[in-house]
Amino acid sequence: MRGGALLAALAAVAALAAAPPLLGEYRTTLLLPVFGYGVALLGLNLLFGYGGLVSFGHAMFVAAGAYAAAVVTGVWRIESFEAVLLAAAAAGLALALPVGALCARYTKIFFGMLTLAFGMLFHSFLFKFYGLTGGDQGMRVRRPTLLGLEFEELDKTAFLVGPYYWYCLAVAALLALLMWRIVRSPFGLALRAQRDNPRKAEYLGVEVRRTRFVAFLVSAAFGAVGGAMLAVPTGLADPELAYWTHSGTLVFMTLLGGFAHFAGPLLGALAYVLLQDWLMSLTPYWRLLLGAVLALIVLACPQGLMGLPALLRARLAARRRRAAAPHPAPAE
Amino acid sequence: MLEIRDLRVDIAGSPILRGVSLAVGAGELVCLLGRNGAGKTTTLNAVMGHRRAAGGAIRFRGRDLLGLPPHRIARLGIGFSPEESEVFAELTVAENVALPTWTRPEGRPAEARIAHAYAVFPKLRQYLARGGAQLSGGERKMVSIARALALDPELLLLDEPFEGLSPLVIPEIARGIGAIRAEGRAVLIAESNLHHVPEEVDRVHVIERGEIVFGGTLAALRADPAAMAIVAAAA
Repeated sequence: MRGGALLAALAAVAALAAAPPLLGEYRTTLLLPVFGYGVALLGLNLLFGYGGLVSFGHAMFVAAGAYAAAVVTGVWRIESFEAVLLAAAAAGLALALPVGALCARYTKIFFGMLTLAFGMLFHSFLFKFYGLTGGDQGMRVRRPTLLGLEFEELDKTAFLVGPYYWYCLAVAALLALLMWRIVRSPFGLALRAQRDNPRKAEYLGVEVRRTRFVAFLVSAAFGAVGGAMLAVPTGLADPELAYWTHSGTLVFMTLLGGFAHFAGPLLGALAYVLLQDWLMSLTPYWRLLLGAVLALIVLACPQGLMGLPALLRARLAARRRRAAAPHPAPAE
Repeated sequence: MLEIRDLRVDIAGSPILRGVSLAVGAGELVCLLGRNGAGKTTTLNAVMGHRRAAGGAIRFRGRDLLGLPPHRIARLGIGFSPEESEVFAELTVAENVALPTWTRPEGRPAEARIAHAYAVFPKLRQYLARGGAQLSGGERKMVSIARALALDPELLLLDEPFEGLSPLVIPEIARGIGAIRAEGRAVLIAESNLHHVPEEVDRVHVIERGEIVFGGTLAALRADPAAMAIVAAAA
């Protein structure tokens, strides 16, 4: 890792770790979904940013993780959050094995549509199989223990803004480190090579379809772990988590942060959560404003927030060049 | 080493290769010469498993290649630098060259293979951190060949290695190919320009409308008026 990036990462973790007492309860609860979404989006961006495959069904894995949390804590009565996270990853993988085996054969719009279709199938399953999933009522996620500690003396909010917050920060930081290792590995290199040109990647011995499939599995596991982290604060696994608009929101967050940068999805999760909260406090038509923001990003800053500094630098340099050359060359 | 026998390939229903036969022995430099559209690229693509053969046989070190997917063929030890040799634009030069050391881990260690690739094209060392999109045509060609070389192949296929390059770069590429050949690797070059055929070539095959119309040494080619007429039209 380059020194600057490592320092920035450490500074961000330290700032987030120190934040709760300064922010107070409300704002700290607001930050909680950032960790779950951050992890889920790291997974999404392995496919999107590194693999060139835009999934419109990633929410199904988030939902799978949330339902795994509900089953483990509510049905099996196992309270350990470590067990919840492992079960979520397993559920994500189990779902991704058949779905990914089919989707990894396709790219571009076909991949997007296929993931969308599977996401909607999964949503219907959660919605209709009332006896198994609770239908539109969803399933309750009970409060877990963290590293075997129950924190009985804390009420729900104190638990969430205290131990749970730091625990999720640590999980997100560790998983970000793991993802960093993955994208820097030869596997990550092969994934980027096939995004650029699958045929040439094959000529160099890359097994393109398997590379995509493995990326799909990793992406799903991250999505599901993120989903389990999201489900504890809300206390509910809800079929709407798997709805296709939620998948769209995940893609939006990634675009907002910048899919071309490793940290883009993390920044995107933070920016989206804050932006949504702010817009919701302004107007009931907040979705309209979010749509405008999305349009603005795609048109004016396609690299997202992470790409903003480079964009501004380029603009400034261009302005300086214009100022230095008062007589522009005539257009040819 | 590589043996192509009576290879026939149809593209969109029309026959593009109509019985191509040629062989490349261990350590040999062989040139497939012909004008654009004669079937050179199709021949190389068929060897790499990218074009399905309608008939005939392709064997590499005694092993039948027909039906194998391209990545398996590459891992058997055939490096390929395609004509549109664009490197992976968003990977750096170093990443481009390092990639095949992972996909084909057998053979010499990765560091030695990478070092060797840069020894053949020393100029690339200046651009290690540069993205593929920021290179000139000649530099991209060098990356493409160096990348194929990092696979540590026994056979290297080069499709039009001099196409569209500035005359200043051509000798540098030619030197690199000479160095590759000097260490005993077999090389098959597809070329449309007789002037680019290296003097040290072991054999030249002239291909015309999907058929091999001449096979022999460069001197024999120059003495064959019929084959020279085809080749001259191409240049």
